Amino acid sequence: MDGRVLVVEDDASIREVTALGLRRAGFRVDTAADGRQALTAWRSGTVDLIVLDIMLPGLDGLQVCREIRRSSAVPILMLTARTDTIDVVVGLECGADDYLRKPFDLPELVARVRSVLRRAVVPPEPGPLRVGGLEIDSGAFVARRDGQELPLTTTEFRLLLELARRPGQVFTRELLLDRVWNHSYLGDSRLVDVAVQRLRAKVEADPGNPRLIRTVRGAGYKLVAG
Amino acid sequence: MSGEPVAAATAGTRPAPATTAGPPTVRPGRLRRRLTIAFVLVAGISAGVLAGGSYLLLRQARYDASLHAAAADARYRLVLAGQFLPLTEQRRTELLTSFEGSGRHVVLIAGDTWPSDPAYAPALTERLRSTVAAGELGYQRSAGPTRLLVVGGRVPGSTAELYVITDEEDLVAGLEQLRNALAAGWVLVVLLAATVGHTLARRTLEPVGRASRAARAITEGLLATRLPVAGRDEFSGWAASFNEMAEALEAKIAALHRAQERERRFTADVAHELRTPVTALVGAASLLRDHLDQLPGDARRAGELLVTDVVRLRRLVEDLMEISRLDAGREAVSVTDVDAPGLVRRIVAARGWPDRVTVDGGPLRLRTDPRRLERVLGNLIANAVQHGAGEVRVRTARSGDRVHVDVDDQGPGIPAEHLPRLFDRFHKVDPARSGGGSGLGLAIALENARLLGGTLTVHSAPGTGTRFRLDLPGSAPEDVPSTRAAAENAGSTRVSSGLPDAGGSEPTGGTG
Repeated sequence: MDGRVLVVEDDASIREVTALGLRRAGFRVDTAADGRQALTAWRSGTVDLIVLDIMLPGLDGLQVCREIRRSSAVPILMLTARTDTIDVVVGLECGADDYLRKPFDLPELVARVRSVLRRAVVPPEPGPLRVGGLEIDSGAFVARRDGQELPLTTTEFRLLLELARRPGQVFTRELLLDRVWNHSYLGDSRLVDVAVQRLRAKVEADPGNPRLIRTVRGAGYKLVAG
Repeated sequence: MSGEPVAAATAGTRPAPATTAGPPTVRPGRLRRRLTIAFVLVAGISAGVLAGGSYLLLRQARYDASLHAAAADARYRLVLAGQFLPLTEQRRTELLTSFEGSGRHVVLIAGDTWPSDPAYAPALTERLRSTVAAGELGYQRSAGPTRLLVVGGRVPGSTAELYVITDEEDLVAGLEQLRNALAAGWVLVVLLAATVGHTLARRTLEPVGRASRAARAITEGLLATRLPVAGRDEFSGWAASFNEMAEALEAKIAALHRAQERERRFTADVAHELRTPVTALVGAASLLRDHLDQLPGDARRAGELLVTDVVRLRRLVEDLMEISRLDAGREAVSVTDVDAPGLVRRIVAARGWPDRVTVDGGPLRLRTDPRRLERVLGNLIANAVQHGAGEVRVRTARSGDRVHVDVDDQGPGIPAEHLPRLFDRFHKVDPARSGGGSGLGLAIALENARLLGGTLTVHSAPGTGTRFRLDLPGSAPEDVPSTRAAAENAGSTRVSSGLPDAGGSEPTGGTG
């Protein structure tokens, strides 16, 4: 599998070993040791995915994430070293697609990277899907409202597509974790909750009172067409 | 007893320890009653002795005085009677009439018995008669319906005997009145003593009650409890000493807390600092593992050992991090519907133990945090698989509104002396056997069980195996991260507001 991954990590050993592992898995890897280097590296080339440590000297990972999200939907896999679970939620809210807790297994990192990248390659529908005033083009990987392209990340797009393929069906968080994130067996349901939250902010007319993507209490989420 | 309330302030940051049995309780009021009774006894006895003694002395004096007067009068009457000798019938009648006329009843015995007034003719005792017959003055007191004092003697110059009778009715009535007055006074004194004693005892014992309540409050963790120090009596001195003791205790416990806090912070820091190098090690080991067969023999063995030990090191660091998160109270519980046996089967399948572990029981749903339940049961089953022999059985059952999960092994059992410390951190039953665990597994399981509102107990008999029982409420207490964690993360309050309809407490669905 081909792809260009930017590894942003301040610890030289972790950076090097991660880069080694990803290269062995067939990715092209760039590295950055702090937030500013990361932004420079990201701007200077085409990066398909960023592995981003939260704890960075100077400009930290959350700030880098927010900065990148201002103009790009590039997949971001966050590395968290903090002992605090709240950190994960903050990172996801900043726009990260997935996270890994340190210490992590290299094979697991590679699997996550592949999974995030694979989200960009979904079996295309015969034609664009039209639900609730949205036009979802799985071939071109874009969603539009009134002809206006929506700035969705790959995870958000995959989530929308998954829900939109079967309007009205209730998706449990576990099912969505499996389909969108390829997590199995007790994944972190906060990934789903935060992603739905961000998706609503982009597709709902009034995100505080969602009409398109509804929460089904005690079960999960569903998309209501019309 | 109303008393003023113990000066108490809530100091205990920790909940009061759940005491199974209180200290032996002194029945309130018992000492007070005893003191009151003693007071009444002392007052009653001393007042009684005083009143009774005075009465007896006074009575004796009054009787003596009455007898002296009667004796003097009798001598005079005897001399008078001598004037009527010889006692012809006429002179005898004159004598009796004369004495009766002067207000004295007399009895004259001259051959026959002649009372001056037939109503006053007491029976004369043999003793009195013989005394008089011997020529002496004698007396008797009759105890009949009327109290009469009889003083008799022989009329000089004849054999006739004259007995002069004094009515002591007034004297006895006076004495009776005095006795009644004294008795009433005694009763009053006793009542007064009872009242005063009761009040005094209450006053005296009030500080004792207060001190007892204060001690109880301290036992329950209210370390800031102090006694009021007023006045300069012994109790004030005692209260001051009590307060000093409480202060010392509070300071000591605060110091212990600080030490414990430092220790926990140190653990958390160590775990955190280890995390970065361990992450690099884990990555490097994983790369090394793929190339082990390209290494020459000795180096390959070294590489294999390295890879294995990195796994152990990683688990230790992860366990340390988890226990320090649990210590800091930062762990939130995210409650959802969970099928307990289903969860157990998934754990067993995921860890690759299906041939060692049997799972009994049909679907059994409860509301709890599946990730924490997985941590507890995963640890218990791993423990049983590692240390027990033969088959490991996991049974789930509901009793009332609680659910319990038993994990049984058929291993050698755990020696009784290790059971109390089994859940301690880094406690090893066999120090020589390092095993694959970090030594924190059971401690983490216990903390997680507590977080779910449950308990974790162990029963073990050497030779027959070990049973760990996790007892859970059917519905776990839902909570948010503790206030301490919330305060430390005040900067990220937007997190909670960022998830308006997808809070952690919302069920995440339970497809198995």
